[in-house]
Amino acid sequence: MSPQFVDFDADGDLDLVAGTYDGSPHLARRDGDGFLQPEQILDAEGVRIVLHQYWDHDVSKWTESSRGDLPGEPAVQGHGTSAIAFDDDGDGDLDLLLGDHKSGHVYRRENRGTAKTPAYARGNERVLADGKPIDVPGTVATLRLVDWDQDGRQDLLFGSMGDVYGEAAGGGVFWCRNVGDGKAARFGPLQTLVAPSPKGHTEAVRPDAGLYPEAADVDGDGDLDLVVGGYSLWTPPSRALNATEQQRVATIRSDLQALDAELEKLNQVAQAVFTEVRDEEEANKRYTAAFQAQKKERDQLRERREPLETELANLVPAKQRRAFVWLYENTTKR
Amino acid sequence: MRSPLVALLLFATQLPAQTATAPTFAPPVRVQADGKDLGTSRLYPSPVLHDTNGDGLADLLIGDLRGRITVALRLPGAGLPRFAKETKLLAKDGDELDFANW
Repeated sequence: MSPQFVDFDADGDLDLVAGTYDGSPHLARRDGDGFLQPEQILDAEGVRIVLHQYWDHDVSKWTESSRGDLPGEPAVQGHGTSAIAFDDDGDGDLDLLLGDHKSGHVYRRENRGTAKTPAYARGNERVLADGKPIDVPGTVATLRLVDWDQDGRQDLLFGSMGDVYGEAAGGGVFWCRNVGDGKAARFGPLQTLVAPSPKGHTEAVRPDAGLYPEAADVDGDGDLDLVVGGYSLWTPPSRALNATEQQRVATIRSDLQALDAELEKLNQVAQAVFTEVRDEEEANKRYTAAFQAQKKERDQLRERREPLETELANLVPAKQRRAFVWLYENTTKR
Repeated sequence: MRSPLVALLLFATQLPAQTATAPTFAPPVRVQADGKDLGTSRLYPSPVLHDTNGDGLADLLIGDLRGRITVALRLPGAGLPRFAKETKLLAKDGDELDFANW
């Protein structure tokens, strides 16, 4: 999600625009002293704006659309989970920039209507930086507008996902300077503000993956600081185990594997309906029933598993993953 | 002697170099509200700063994967920010503002 306060419909108050995980930008209009519940932002033909993958609320499943592909351009394979309204072409109305959660690309939907009555094009145009499609390392978690170099032009700020669960590089924070003429935006090369996390920490020291930055002068010293949401990943330091403890670790791991095998058997029994029943709706209904019928057995497995996991974590520290919000205080002027 | 135009052009070509210096940041610190770490019970917390109550201070709003937003009002005082306890951002209908999600 990427909440942005912006006067979307040029009526003098600040609305909320946000890309969400369902793959589309949404708008919560400000109406007097409060916000109306959000609505999807539609294109000029009244069709939902997506990059490619999206959650179809009508049939409750992930779906794909190529409707936004442009002739002669590579097909877009993305999943647009972040969005900002921005007058990218300097014509006085707000276009939409969409960040791709599955790649490092950013796409534009041009507003061919007016500031008060937007009419968004159906095509997803790639946004360029330094003459090439923007390619944020680690895929786009979110994008923001900020005049980072304080030259009067809105620059682009990005947070990247990185490897959220594994050992590969984490996310970082980047920006592209707006080198346009003050009206139409044109972006320079991607520059790093916070390098992608190398991970490998023994405590939570920074946001390592799924970085969502905001830039503002929060300490009032005249420069822009970063406030960054994200997951910290760390493994507490381990200690040397004696022979008895090592044997206990082996036993616990073996017991956990046996519990996993029992759980897998339950899963196979429940999932068997998908091969036995062709009708999807009926299969889902029977799967849910089969799953619920296993509740007692699943609860018992969980009760047996929890103390073993706790004991193992005390002997061999487990990987930790937790979300925080961090402040990076800008110290450049010191 | 350079003409004013040449001098201006030379100055202009130096601008990218002036801004190319990478900024430096202090080691990050966790942001808290009412003494508690922010973001810990959220999926993919996404902060945005905005003065929601018109007191001239930028409050900290946090969106998340589920499509909900919380508000932590900034407390008066200079230096690093302090925030009050988070509350849910409500819509005009009195319900929690809900960015429909999957």
